Amino acid sequence: MTLPNERETSRRSGQSLLIRFTPFIAGALVLCILPALVPTYVRNIWTKFVVFALFASSYDLIYGHTGLLSLGHAAYFGAGGYTVAALMLHYNIDSLWVGLPLGVLVAAFISAIFGFMALRVSGMYFLLVTFAFGELLYSVTWNWKWLSTPGMQGISGLLRPNLGIPGFRWNTINFYYFVLIIFLLCFYLVYRIMNSPFGHALRGIRENEPRMQSLGYNTWLYKYLAFIITGAFAGVAGTLFAYYNRFISPTHVGVVTSFMPMIMVIIGGSGTLLGPVIGALIIVFVEYFSSLFTPERWPLILGALFVAAIMYARGGVGIHLTKLWRKLNYRYGSSKG
Amino acid sequence: MELVLANLVNGISFGMILFLIASGLSIVMGLMGIINLAHGALYMVGAYAGWTIAVQWKMNFALAVIVGGIAGALVGLLIERGFLRRLYKQPNEQVLLTFGFVYILSNLVIWIWGGHRRLQFTAPILYGSMEIAGMPFAKDRLAIIAIGAIIAIALWYLQDKTRIGAIVRAGMDDKEMTTGLGINLDFIFTVVFLFAAFIAGCAGVIGAQLIGAYSWLGTDILLYSLIVVVVGGLGSVQGSLLGGLVIGLIDTFGKALFPQFAMFTIYLAMIVILLVKPSGLLGRKS
Repeated sequence: MTLPNERETSRRSGQSLLIRFTPFIAGALVLCILPALVPTYVRNIWTKFVVFALFASSYDLIYGHTGLLSLGHAAYFGAGGYTVAALMLHYNIDSLWVGLPLGVLVAAFISAIFGFMALRVSGMYFLLVTFAFGELLYSVTWNWKWLSTPGMQGISGLLRPNLGIPGFRWNTINFYYFVLIIFLLCFYLVYRIMNSPFGHALRGIRENEPRMQSLGYNTWLYKYLAFIITGAFAGVAGTLFAYYNRFISPTHVGVVTSFMPMIMVIIGGSGTLLGPVIGALIIVFVEYFSSLFTPERWPLILGALFVAAIMYARGGVGIHLTKLWRKLNYRYGSSKG
Repeated sequence: MELVLANLVNGISFGMILFLIASGLSIVMGLMGIINLAHGALYMVGAYAGWTIAVQWKMNFALAVIVGGIAGALVGLLIERGFLRRLYKQPNEQVLLTFGFVYILSNLVIWIWGGHRRLQFTAPILYGSMEIAGMPFAKDRLAIIAIGAIIAIALWYLQDKTRIGAIVRAGMDDKEMTTGLGINLDFIFTVVFLFAAFIAGCAGVIGAQLIGAYSWLGTDILLYSLIVVVVGGLGSVQGSLLGGLVIGLIDTFGKALFPQFAMFTIYLAMIVILLVKPSGLLGRKS
């Protein structure tokens, strides 16, 4: 939490404002420049990392900020991806301007339905119901023949999005920047939501729901809205993932994929802005290296990492970095301001 | 008629297996306030251990059930003593931790037993069918129902008529008060967790007669038992039994009557219960 007077100081001086945002600027520079210089396969993994960073950030809205442990987050991710895929498979529509908004809408709509029912119960029950809903969508994608390329489980042969610009051709570099731009836009939106009165109310609900109720907040509505918003952002990530991976299968809707943003948020640090991004970076690259050496042991490594993170690195890497940054900021930033 | 009867027997026997798993899940949930997501994985470990005893080493089926239970309990002991204990009073972290163990156990099972699916196996005396009132019934299904009924009665007796049952019920209602009465609730937690893991392991071997064993069995069966807990209600043997039977029957008849939508019938049951009575059919009042 930023103290009010600290924030005042930052507002007063442009210089300390610059210092306050240094980690974001540095992060943005790394994201923007580095991938253009690396080999293609690294760039591909880097693209995947950005997609999952968005997915993890969306999960952090509901888990880290609202304090609701949802176990079926891949449902909305997969809903976005499957919307894009089904549009291409059945209607030959590959336009970004149709696919992305529709994917987000479908994801938000599904999370609105699921959230409505899941939020009727609280605590452990909420977790259990979100898990069941995730698996419900998994079995829909598994059983409904309409949602798969004939003879396959899942939809393959997806194309990169059609931007509607004549003469434009995709390559790995401009696709990466396309993903990055959408990621940064969403990241900025998430940042604004977290720092809005709405975001503060969500954290209030996380800390003490009865108190928020007695202050006159309709906490159910706040949680419901947060659930829909997080579903919509997961839908954006899922849409990007379908464009990136060119193949989507029931696995991307089920529990295996739901697990990914959870471990990213836990390892990176929940309730922090950069935590999920750092977590995604770690997990995506560990996955890459373990798939090089022992692909069949990857779930074991993932599970062990997860257990180790919960046992020994609770709060995650992100929170330590944030603390370090605060300390530096306090020492150098405000004295100059 | 015969088809209906056969499905009825199948449904009840599947329901009994679901009851065995869900009762452990629900009691741990009620007492410790956490969902043990690795509970299905313990079931799976039991099923594989039982397979080794009964099929690979061709030993007694009853022994396989016991060994399956012990295997489940040992893994449960490791999870509870080694990990859950150290995250005292952090329910979210505890739940996430058990999720990590689902991954670890599923992969270890592939490592030890290989990736291919194990078929259903049963004791030689339970092969074939027997006639009751002119109708043939599969013996292994009847055995499952009988074992399930015996365990249900035993658990109900344990819960309602004994001192340990009273302590567990008191612990669910008010932890501080129970501790204040001089009861070592920490110890009770471990005992209950181990007992639940043991039952899950036994259920794995008993259920292997119907389902067999495969590496993602842990999540599949977990899903079923979570729905059973939602439908039946939390924290009582009766709730788990009723929920298990309802879901077992709905699932079996769903698969027989409308195969295309078979997967969705159980979710439908869950959604109806959530909308009408979120605390479950026989849930404890909080």
